[in-house]
Amino acid sequence: MEALFSLVKRNNKVFRRDKTQVFYSLLSVIIVIVLYAVFLQKMQVNAIEEVTKATPALVTMVNEWIVAGLLSMTAVSTTLAAYGIAVRDLESKAQADFLTAPISRATIQFSYVLNAFFIGCIFSFIALIGCEIFIVSTGGELLSFGDFLKVVGLLFLSVLLGSVFNLFLVLLANSQHSFSTLSTIVGTALGFLCGVYVPVGALPSFAQNLIMYFPISHTTLLLRNAFMESSISKVFEGAPALQVEEYKKMYGIVYDLHGNILSTSTSIIIIVVTIIMLAILSFFFFKKKNK
Amino acid sequence: MTFAIQVENLCKQYGNQQAVKGISFKVEQGSLFAFLGANGAGKSTTIEILCTLLKKSSGTVNINGHTLDACNDNAEIRKSIGVVFQQSLLDERLTVQENILHRGKTYGLSKKQLTDNYQFVSTHLHLADIEKRKYGTLSGGQKRRADIARALIHRPNILFLDEPTTGLDPQTRQFVWQAIKQLQLETNMTVFLTTHYMEEAAVAHQVIVLKEGEIVAEGTPDELKTKYAYDSMALVFHNSSEGIQWLKDNAISYTEKLGIFSIQVESTLNALTLLKDAEPLIASFEVIKGTMDDVFLHIMAEGGAA
Repeated sequence: MEALFSLVKRNNKVFRRDKTQVFYSLLSVIIVIVLYAVFLQKMQVNAIEEVTKATPALVTMVNEWIVAGLLSMTAVSTTLAAYGIAVRDLESKAQADFLTAPISRATIQFSYVLNAFFIGCIFSFIALIGCEIFIVSTGGELLSFGDFLKVVGLLFLSVLLGSVFNLFLVLLANSQHSFSTLSTIVGTALGFLCGVYVPVGALPSFAQNLIMYFPISHTTLLLRNAFMESSISKVFEGAPALQVEEYKKMYGIVYDLHGNILSTSTSIIIIVVTIIMLAILSFFFFKKKNK
Repeated sequence: MTFAIQVENLCKQYGNQQAVKGISFKVEQGSLFAFLGANGAGKSTTIEILCTLLKKSSGTVNINGHTLDACNDNAEIRKSIGVVFQQSLLDERLTVQENILHRGKTYGLSKKQLTDNYQFVSTHLHLADIEKRKYGTLSGGQKRRADIARALIHRPNILFLDEPTTGLDPQTRQFVWQAIKQLQLETNMTVFLTTHYMEEAAVAHQVIVLKEGEIVAEGTPDELKTKYAYDSMALVFHNSSEGIQWLKDNAISYTEKLGIFSIQVESTLNALTLLKDAEPLIASFEVIKGTMDDVFLHIMAEGGAA
């Protein structure tokens, strides 16, 4: 056990001290922030103003929408970047150095998974604090204690999903080059697949289905629900229920899959089942790779 | 005689290619064992097998009384070996101390053992001046000191050195070897060395030369030099014509360059006899001992007979 913790600590230090790596792990998130500041916020506010009156709560609601997207992306992008150490160790033969000690390949691999999970948790928590400061400083309200716990729980789930999702992907990468290609693809696709760059409802139906079947987008959906519940009721106070539902479908706050609105518990089940499936698949893939 | 390593008929096959072809050898506990061969001879493959990093195709390997690939024995083998790889593998952004201690913890040592061991390696490899520095900022020689310290942090019985001094300046090489020899002397540690510097192999207790996956020569450096190298003598005569006549009279074959005559001698004692005989003719001379370089080149060119 001490060997495992020592490896995790080592992985953690190696990641944190590589400032470029840390920066790149947040690049897709930074891009979203820039896009949001430049036009995403304005676009969304303008669109909603057409159906309901503009209030300060409207800006808060839109801010919360983007914050939910940012947090779910952070969970994936930071865990992926943390796995960079595994690929580097494999390529540089540092793993061979560890393997001369009485520890198994599985222990070494598990240390990368735990490190990715810790990195994801730390960065997501820091991002959550940053997002709360942003929301409050732009006129919004702090999350209630209950909602805060709910968000923390969802972040935990998002990071866990991000950790196993990226573990599976990283097992396919044998070199730094293939890992950077993978990171670029994931970083770019993530914003679309979580419905952050473009609202889900604005996409053609096949793309909408793709997003709804993409398990990580369900963490975005759940975070949006947790963050926006109160501001949606304020913004759409007195508005017809149909109008509220249309807004929620358009901006990925609820998923309408083949005419059925997915419940929160369905999304959680999708996430948990995906975590288990990917963990099992990764285990067998790892075993096969190291036979 | 106690053997730290015993290898019997070891084979390693990659598809159709046989990298190691049934080699057998024994390494005495506490000895310095040199494992030589040109690039691609199968040295690294053999070392990787001995270090439990690679599965053998067949054969038996016993290290410190543990049978390789037998149930739970690989973990015991790993506890008893330290490996210095050809490349520097420690983390550039961690300090020397962090690197060594993090890796030390993977051996299941108690806190006290780890602290004591660290003190031991730090003293022997003079880490005090570099232990707080990041590994990436060190010179090649300093990195090697740290690499060796990392390999020794659990105080292994066997130290594998895979070309440990490649790329180091002569002074640093000397320091590294002094440290290794000192440690070997104090702890009766077995050192298993691969190197391209033949003068390093010349101080080994036993040498094996590998060629295309097979052992082509083995013995002590002296035995190998006797078999595959020769001593020579360079002579400058007062009068070259007289010198040539003397060489012809004694049926000694020679080569001549810029008035310096090179002849092969069976031994340095044989050189003495010749020198006494030709003393009045000789202006100056130099007896040149056969080297491990000669041994290696001879074996690589013609193959040996193990």
